[in-house]
Amino acid sequence: MSKTLKTQVADLEKTIIEKVKSNEISIKPKWYFIAGSLFAFAGLVGFSIGAVFLTNLTLFLLRRHGPMGQWRLQQLLTSFPVWVPILAVVGIVLGIAMLRKYDFSYKRNFWIIMLVFILSIILAAFVIDQLGLNDTWSRQGPIRRFYQQVGGKADSTKRVSDYGGI
Amino acid sequence: MVDISTLSDSDVVAIVRTKDKELYAEIIKRYQKKLLRYASYIMKDEHRGADVVQEGFIKAYINLNGFDTKKKFSSWIYRIVHNEAMNMLSKNKKQVPMNYEVEQDSGIDLEDDFIRTEIINWTHHCLEQMPIIYREPLSLFYLEEKSYEEISDILRIPVGTVGTRVNRAKGIMKKLCQKH
Repeated sequence: MSKTLKTQVADLEKTIIEKVKSNEISIKPKWYFIAGSLFAFAGLVGFSIGAVFLTNLTLFLLRRHGPMGQWRLQQLLTSFPVWVPILAVVGIVLGIAMLRKYDFSYKRNFWIIMLVFILSIILAAFVIDQLGLNDTWSRQGPIRRFYQQVGGKADSTKRVSDYGGI
Repeated sequence: MVDISTLSDSDVVAIVRTKDKELYAEIIKRYQKKLLRYASYIMKDEHRGADVVQEGFIKAYINLNGFDTKKKFSSWIYRIVHNEAMNMLSKNKKQVPMNYEVEQDSGIDLEDDFIRTEIINWTHHCLEQMPIIYREPLSLFYLEEKSYEEISDILRIPVGTVGTRVNRAKGIMKKLCQKH
């Protein structure tokens, strides 16, 4: 070790302890870390639920209107509520980012964890769609209006297309 | 009166958290040399390494309540220093790295010191040329004597990847040192 580094080593302890004594630096309280963990977990759950819901909604809208059904591809692209699948992807990406904060993310192959996470979301969305929950939610319940708004935009375009518009 | 030196890292941390914050000096004493050596290898410069370690110790102190006492303290503090070094490296990416110069201590046996310094210089020179993804696990494994599991916890990469990188690093090191 060089002389200057030896001096630095000696100074290091002194400098830090002085900061500790003078309260220039202080230990963050325990609740800060507990809150951090809770928020991270809530974030993971929230993003996962959001991603499942939006993926399910995308499947529902595709099933109802195309892409190979009544709509032509051009019409699908212009009228489809693109923000739904985009937000679904954002939810998946943020969910994956939250997963990375957990220790298991580097102890196992993260590509497999990511793949399982994405597949689980798609599978959950598919199951919800197949169970007919979308049809129920679009007719009754607290999110009926939301479904009508999202589906309504598509329906109005469909009617225009029926009359040879666009 | 308990002899502080006999206490485990976790016990010292528990005392610092609850009773005596100045006991953090014991933690600094235990780790400063090891961390300085480690950070110097990453930063390729002793003084920048010292800056990284100082910041690392400060961050570790501030976040001491975030340390899980069931885990190894050494892995936790090495991880903090690793992160600090990576942050500093990315900040100084455009800066030209300073040359690593080892200053000689005044010793009685000058010849021995000279040979030792030459060997250290030579090894450092080989290590410096290695990409950081190989340099770091190699220095942790051979110089810091960390296990693959500990390196995995510090670098947050799978144990298998640690093994692969250490093996590749050995091959690279061999080639680099033979060149000179």
